[in-house]
Amino acid sequence: MKIRLENIVKRFRDNTAVDHFSAEIESGELVTLLGPSGCGKSTMLNMLSGILYPTEGKIYFDEDDVTFVSSEKRGIGLVFQNYALYPHMTVLENICFPLEIKKVPKAERIEKAKKMAELVHVDTMLNRKPGQLSGGQQQRVAIARALVKEPRLLLLDEPLSNLDARLRIEMREEIRRIQLETGVTTIFVTHDQEEAMSISDHIILMKLGVLQQFDKPQYLYDQPANCFVADFLGNPPINKVEAVVKNGKVILADGSDSGVRLEGHDDQKVWLSFRSESVLYEPDSQLKATAIMTSVMGKEKITAFDLAGKEVRGYFDSSLDFERGQEVGIGFKKTGVFVFDYESGERYL
Amino acid sequence: MIKRPFFERIKPLLYLLPFIISVVIFTLYPIVNVIRMSFLEGYKYLTGAYTGVGLENYQKVFADPYFRQALGNTFKYVLCVVPISTAIAVVLANLLNQKIKFQAFFQTAYFLPMVTSSLAVGLAWRFMFNDKIGILNYILGLIGLEPVNWLGQSSGNFMAVVVFGIWSILPNTIILLLSGLQNIDPMYYTAAKVDGAKTLRIFFRITVPLLAPTIMLVIIINSINTFKMYHELFPLFSGPGVAYNLFTVVYYIYYEFRVLTPPKYGLASAAAVMLLITVFGFTMLQRAVQAWARRERGEDGKDKKRK
Repeated sequence: MKIRLENIVKRFRDNTAVDHFSAEIESGELVTLLGPSGCGKSTMLNMLSGILYPTEGKIYFDEDDVTFVSSEKRGIGLVFQNYALYPHMTVLENICFPLEIKKVPKAERIEKAKKMAELVHVDTMLNRKPGQLSGGQQQRVAIARALVKEPRLLLLDEPLSNLDARLRIEMREEIRRIQLETGVTTIFVTHDQEEAMSISDHIILMKLGVLQQFDKPQYLYDQPANCFVADFLGNPPINKVEAVVKNGKVILADGSDSGVRLEGHDDQKVWLSFRSESVLYEPDSQLKATAIMTSVMGKEKITAFDLAGKEVRGYFDSSLDFERGQEVGIGFKKTGVFVFDYESGERYL
Repeated sequence: MIKRPFFERIKPLLYLLPFIISVVIFTLYPIVNVIRMSFLEGYKYLTGAYTGVGLENYQKVFADPYFRQALGNTFKYVLCVVPISTAIAVVLANLLNQKIKFQAFFQTAYFLPMVTSSLAVGLAWRFMFNDKIGILNYILGLIGLEPVNWLGQSSGNFMAVVVFGIWSILPNTIILLLSGLQNIDPMYYTAAKVDGAKTLRIFFRITVPLLAPTIMLVIIINSINTFKMYHELFPLFSGPGVAYNLFTVVYYIYYEFRVLTPPKYGLASAAAVMLLITVFGFTMLQRAVQAWARRERGEDGKDKKRK
C-alpha cells in the first residue's frame, strides 16, 4: 500500500512536534523514521496508526484519505516498544486475539495464527505465556500478532530497543526477512542509525519535527543534505573541523590549507566534514596532523589525530605505523568530504 | 571475623524495641491469652482461678444452637457481601478510572462512606430501610413491587444488613482496585483498541484478567473483615437483629463476654479461637490460589526451561 503524507503538522499546546512533513512511501517498502529523541518520529508513527490525529495536513493510504480515520479501521498492525503482549494469554491466544475481535471462526483463526507463528519461528512455544519467553521471542510473537490480520501497513515503534546488542542484530535481520516474505509496507521507528541503515529501503531522517532527508540509506550517507544528516549517520561519527573560505580555499583555524576547494563562498565560516575512510596518508602534503593514538581494528587501524585543534579520526592500512606525537601529512579523497555552512548547516560541497 | 562490641550488636534490636514491645503487649499477648482461656474450665477473669483444663468450652460452643446460628449467619453474610461488593467495585473502579465528566464528583461520592461514621450513616440507613417512611420501600412501590419489611422479623433484615455491609466496604475496595487498575500499562488498551476491541471485550478479556491479583487481594481482605462483622448491627437494629436472628460470631463472642451475667469467658474465647482458625484457613486458601495464578502466568519463571 502506498502512503502519501501531505504537509502534516502536529502541535501539542504551543509545542510543534511535527512541522510541515510531506513524504510518499512506495508500496511494499520498508521505510525507517530515524532521528534523535524528540524529533517527532514517534508522533509521526502515532498519526499513521491513528492513535493521534494531525493538527494540519492529510494522510492518504493509497487513494483513501485516512487522516481522521480511527486506528481499527485503518488496517494497520502495530508492534510496540515493550511488545504489549497480554501477559495472561498464551502465545497462541495472543496471536489469535486480533482475529477474535474480528469474529473470525475459531478453527480458522487458530489455523491462521499457527501459520503466522511458523513464519516468525515461534510455532514450538504456542502454549507458553509471554513471561516464559525471552525478549527476542516476545518480539517475534508481537510481530506475528500485528501481521495475523493481514494489515495493509505494519508499524514498528522502536522494536529493538529492549534487546541486547547481539539479539538486536539477529532480530533486525528477522524483521527484514519477515517483511520481504510478506511484502507488507512497513514503517520502522528508531533512533539507531546503524539499525536504520542495515534494513531500510529508504530512510526518513527527522530533526525537531522537520524532515531533513528522505533517501536510500547509502545515498543518505554519501550525499547528506545538510550538516545534521552528515553528523547523525556513520560510525565512527564524521570528522568536523572549523574552517574559513579564503579565495576559494578552505583554510583551517590554524591557517593551514586543507586542500579542499570551494567557489563562491569567500570569507564565510564553514565546517569541513569528512568521513574517516576519506582520509589519505600523503607524506608530502602541506596539511599536517599530529597523531594521538591508534587502535587496531584487524585488517586496518584507526588513528586519532589533532588537526587544527580538533580531534579527527582516519582509517589506514595496518602496515602504516604512527608514533604518538608524530606529524603526519594527510589529504582527502574526492568522496566523503563536505563543506557546510557554520550556522545553518547548509551544504556547499 | 572481628567481633563487634556488644553495644554495636544489640543496637539494631534497640531500634526495633518499641515496635516489638507494642506487638507483644497489644497483639501477641491477647491472642495467646484468648487461646489459653479457651482451654480453661470454670475460669474467673478477675481472680484468675479455674477448675480444670480441657476441651469442654469447645464442646459447649459447638453444642450451643446460638453459636451454630451465628456461624451460619456469618458464612451467609460473607458469601453474600464479598462477591457482590467485589463485582460492583470492579465495575465502579473501572468507570472511575476512565476519563469521564465529573470524575472528581463521582470519586468523592464513592469514597464518602469511608470518611463518615458508620454509626451515623447506619442510622440514616435505618430510616431508609423503614418499612413505612423509608425511601427504599417508596422506590419499590414506584416500580410496583411489594414493600419489604427490611428491619422487622423476616428475611428482610438479613438483606438489609447485607445491603448496608456492601455499601460500607465499597470505598476501600474501590480504592484498592483503582490502584490495581492504575498499575495496568495503558499500552495493553492501546494494543487492543488498534485491533478494534470494544469496551466490553477489553473489560472482560484484558482488564479483569490483569486485575485478577488485586481482585484476589480484595477478596481476602474483605472476607477477613466481613467474617468479623459486628458493628453494622448496632445502628440498624440496636442489637443482633430481631430476637437474635442475626447473631454473628463476633456478636456471639461479645454476648458471652459482656452481656451475659456471669460472663462465660471460656465460651467466648473458644468462639474467638474458632473465628481465628476460620479466617486463617481462608487466608491460606486465598494465598494458595494466588500462588497458583502466578504460576499460571509463568511469573515465577520456574517452567522457563520447559521445551
